[in-house]
Amino acid sequence: MITIRRRGHRTLRVGIVCPYSFDAPGGVQFHVRDLAQALQAAGHHVSVLAPSSDDTELPDVVTAAGRAVPVPYNGSVARLTFGPLAATRVRRWLEGGIDGRPYDIVHLHEPMVPSLSMLALWQTTEPVVATFHTSQVRSRALQVAYPLVRQSLEKIAARIAVSEDARRTLVDHLGGDAVVIPNGVYTEVFASSPRRHEWTGTPSAPTVAFLGRLDEPRKGLHVLVQAIPAILDRMPGVRFLVAGRGEDVVGETRELLGARASSVEFLGGVSDADKAALLASADLYVAPQTGGESFGIVLVEAMSAGSVVVASDLGAFQRVLDDGAAGALFRNGDPADLAATVLDLLADPARRDAYRARAAEWVQRFDWSGVTEQVLAVYEMTLAADHAIGGDVVGRFMGLFPRRVGGDA
Amino acid sequence: MTWSEIALVALAVLAVGLVFAWQGASRLDRVHRKVAASRIALDSQLVRRASAAMELAASGALDPASAVLVADAVYTASDIGPVTSPAAALKMDGLGAERERAESGLTATLREALGAPEAVRGLRAGPSGEVVEGLAAAWYRVTLARRFHNEAVAQARRVRRLWYVRLFHLAGRAPMPRTVELDDALPHGLEPSGG
Repeated sequence: MITIRRRGHRTLRVGIVCPYSFDAPGGVQFHVRDLAQALQAAGHHVSVLAPSSDDTELPDVVTAAGRAVPVPYNGSVARLTFGPLAATRVRRWLEGGIDGRPYDIVHLHEPMVPSLSMLALWQTTEPVVATFHTSQVRSRALQVAYPLVRQSLEKIAARIAVSEDARRTLVDHLGGDAVVIPNGVYTEVFASSPRRHEWTGTPSAPTVAFLGRLDEPRKGLHVLVQAIPAILDRMPGVRFLVAGRGEDVVGETRELLGARASSVEFLGGVSDADKAALLASADLYVAPQTGGESFGIVLVEAMSAGSVVVASDLGAFQRVLDDGAAGALFRNGDPADLAATVLDLLADPARRDAYRARAAEWVQRFDWSGVTEQVLAVYEMTLAADHAIGGDVVGRFMGLFPRRVGGDA
Repeated sequence: MTWSEIALVALAVLAVGLVFAWQGASRLDRVHRKVAASRIALDSQLVRRASAAMELAASGALDPASAVLVADAVYTASDIGPVTSPAAALKMDGLGAERERAESGLTATLREALGAPEAVRGLRAGPSGEVVEGLAAAWYRVTLARRFHNEAVAQARRVRRLWYVRLFHLAGRAPMPRTVELDDALPHGLEPSGG
């Protein structure tokens, strides 16, 4: 872990733009919130611009950029903010800086999503760092707008991808390269979470946890459900704790399991504290996702909390589990293999301890303390390159005129 | 077509050409600036890494054979590479094959001298921990700086290939930017937060 502060390390003013609304929190929003918090803890000044309606309670550092509108985009419905009003708000936020002084770094998340980040990239004159989260960047509409967007892309001084998979997508679709800096997790929050008595397993009745939307097939609940009979045949005491929204699937699943349904408890959507407690209490955490995962942050959370992870052998999961050294892997989409893996582990406490010990050490690389140091190193390199040869002469000349909406022309 | 019509068309073509030329020139200026600046940043990180490596060699934390070899690799690298001045950076010709070879050599020597991850962990916990941390920080920044530089080079090459950039000779006599290819892979024990 790089803990030493560089000589000449200075306080930065960082502006972060999040394209998705805080009304409906998701992975990118959590990442932005945690990054802002971690940067502030390191002594930097941070301002976050994100879409949000007025009645949502926001962390202090977040500036609301107006309502996000649900629009069909790239095959699903996304909540995005766009249009002339949004563009003006982004411009004002960019010009405002922090305490009236301009940003040193503008850090955009998902600049290829047609929302605030794209608008910010279009208008900014500050050095830009961009983070790419998803494993899908390309859309047909983007191909149409690409000539417009490509010039904007040249403004990005440093690209970060949150996983090897996200990086590969970026390389394939946009060309160029990116550095991989993983998603951060506050491992201590999970490591120190109290256990819940009713979720804690005993030697005769161990507990197995599942987390994720029940009605999203890619989360793989059906794989687990198909494995349950084989597990209960050998170990009738096992209890399955299933957390996640999608209540309409519950009845269906109960029916499918018949008499065995009594071994499965549906917890519905859980709060952050409950999630940590569940992962700290359960003996095993099962991640049967069948695809569409670029990182697997829940696996890191489960490892931090101390439960043993059993995950499908997706590329992203293999990497996050240190190729099977920090948790067990089973063949993706194969309930029989999942059942066998779970039974093996439940019968072998020594193997579980070995996984737990390796995992406790391994997760440190995903802790925000280390991740923040890496992000700061990227900021530092960006600024070093920016300072090496003074500002943009053309830009300075154009600076005589008010900032145009459309910084690229 | 009358003469006045022809003149009008010619004027329009000229105007369009001027717009393209202006746009291409300012875009080219931006990417060239980026290439030069990111190269200076990369160069200064390489120098920082070399000085951290020299500090490590002098600290007594390494065995004497490794210390001599690391010091030698540092001298080889720093003898070739003068600290880049803005004027030299504007030549945009990468770092030169000799420098790249020397820096790769320093990387290989350091990797061998530091040994397995367990050994690195021992070094970091030992009295020379700070020196090793300094080396790790500089080395990680080298990998970042090189990627950002090569990214800028790729963009510049793309802009240089545009038809109107070539037609108007907007790049003048500026040489075609080259990427910097060298081995800068971090040993496992030094990866950020990999301990």
